[in-house]
Amino acid sequence: MRQLIWILWPSFVVAGFAEVAFFTLIDPQELYLFGEPTHFSRTATYSIGFFCFWAVCAASSMFTCFIQRSSDEVNRCTIAATCKDRVLTRN
Amino acid sequence: MSQDELNPSCSPAERKPASMGEPEAPSAPLYEVHKKIYPRSVTGLFASWRWALVWFTQLLFYGLCWLPWNGRQAVLFDLVERKFYIFGLIFWPQDVIYLSVLLIIAAYGLFLFTAIGGRLFCGYACPQTVYTEIFVWIEERIEGGRATRMKLDQQPWSRRKLMLKTAKHAIWIGFAFWTGFTFVGYFTPINILSLSVVNFSLGPWETFWILFYGFATYGNAGYMREQVCKYMCPYARFQSVMFDPDTLVVTYDIERGEPRGARSRKLDHKAEGKGDCVDCGICVQVCPTGIDIRKGLQYECIGCSACIDACDQVMDKMLYPRGLIRYSTEHAIEQHWGRTEILAHLIRPRIVIYGAILACIVVAGAYGIATRLPLKVDVIRDRNSLSREVENGLIENLYRLQIMNVSETMHRYAISVSGLEGIDIAAERIVEIPAAGARVVLVPVRVPPESGKKGSNRIYFDVNAIGDEKIAVHEKASFLMP
Repeated sequence: MRQLIWILWPSFVVAGFAEVAFFTLIDPQELYLFGEPTHFSRTATYSIGFFCFWAVCAASSMFTCFIQRSSDEVNRCTIAATCKDRVLTRN
Repeated sequence: MSQDELNPSCSPAERKPASMGEPEAPSAPLYEVHKKIYPRSVTGLFASWRWALVWFTQLLFYGLCWLPWNGRQAVLFDLVERKFYIFGLIFWPQDVIYLSVLLIIAAYGLFLFTAIGGRLFCGYACPQTVYTEIFVWIEERIEGGRATRMKLDQQPWSRRKLMLKTAKHAIWIGFAFWTGFTFVGYFTPINILSLSVVNFSLGPWETFWILFYGFATYGNAGYMREQVCKYMCPYARFQSVMFDPDTLVVTYDIERGEPRGARSRKLDHKAEGKGDCVDCGICVQVCPTGIDIRKGLQYECIGCSACIDACDQVMDKMLYPRGLIRYSTEHAIEQHWGRTEILAHLIRPRIVIYGAILACIVVAGAYGIATRLPLKVDVIRDRNSLSREVENGLIENLYRLQIMNVSETMHRYAISVSGLEGIDIAAERIVEIPAAGARVVLVPVRVPPESGKKGSNRIYFDVNAIGDEKIAVHEKASFLMP
């Protein structure tokens, strides 16, 4: 759960900034999808755009979490052991 | 007053005196072993301020979207039309500079207020605090005070408990979705939105965002509460860089309070070597983040001052002077400063610099908006044709002029072109654009071939509002000669 929040929350915040910056500069109606102009409404493009940003940012957060594991955690490798170990080392 | 009166429903953990300088126990992992906090309600000066701000911010939020202005919604961020209306001002994507100015003002405002008075924003105006306050108020009306709520949660499920919990969640959910509806009402005109809700014809995305925002409000204010401040808020983590030893923060006066301990009001506690803190634990019970302010400044403290109000009431009952917990500064506590000395240290380089920068940006932003030209013109060369020869051997280039009327009245504009000998427009020269409207005008420009050099030539477009000389835009463009 904690890892999920670490992945989803920062990516949500950054996606919000990215959304504002991107769509302030670019009109959704000027976007092309597979070489064709998009036929979605602006609201739909904004919403889909936000979730795309969120997904990309979440992927980045997930990768950060993944490579942050210590060598001990990687060597043991089971998820249950990882969590337990992490809590123990923190405390 | 008996000892028990001063220790109502205080758990053994809270009764245990927290010795100063004791290393803090490792905090519980996020969202795993979370101990629910039951904040005790509090009244007093700072509680009144907090409620005043709850009313102010929420009347603004729930009310402003219903305010009409010139036949439209006064404040509307129309994402579909890509126009932001704020009373008489209309902002287009080209006005993104004002958004940046607004963000910089907000950031510097936050820096300044934090440097002066700590987390004033967190304690009084942050939506997380405000909604938590409202949700806890609803909870208390339905389930009862702190002790009753704790008892109810420990009880096994019964008909009464089920009814109380259902009522609470129903009101929370209703309130949360009204909040979501209001939020979306700032992006879709709220009159249309409410009609759609009544007619069950709400669009899929509007429905989604109302539910999304409503769910976020319900989750954040109903369940996550202080955890948002403790674990999710980035501001809580970097606020310390804005603090200095002269920043006013909620402080426990250790020297006056320690050694703490229970006592009878009749005894002279000073003769017994005791401090003013009666160790009733009420400051911990009222704390929405569940910390003990007596352990010193902690990043979890949102500066809501609930503990000040609570402690002052206890001090009144004990007939001790108020202010054992108060707004004070590190220097003031160390050097026993009074109010005048604290205020004298308010003006210091950090505050002056933050204040000066903030003032400059506010003035520049206000000047920019006040003198903003209510007309915008974008000149784009037609990408499909570079240049071509037309009748009489003239060379023609095609331009697209996007003319945006940023004012609230209809205007007629005259388009003219200059920069080359014999240059002229071969189309309509007068365009009419409605209030807050925009139009793309195709402008073919013709030039005799001998007027310019081969390649790119600088030309100028002038767009002037007919009847108002001040509204004029001079834009450059390039004319291609074959």
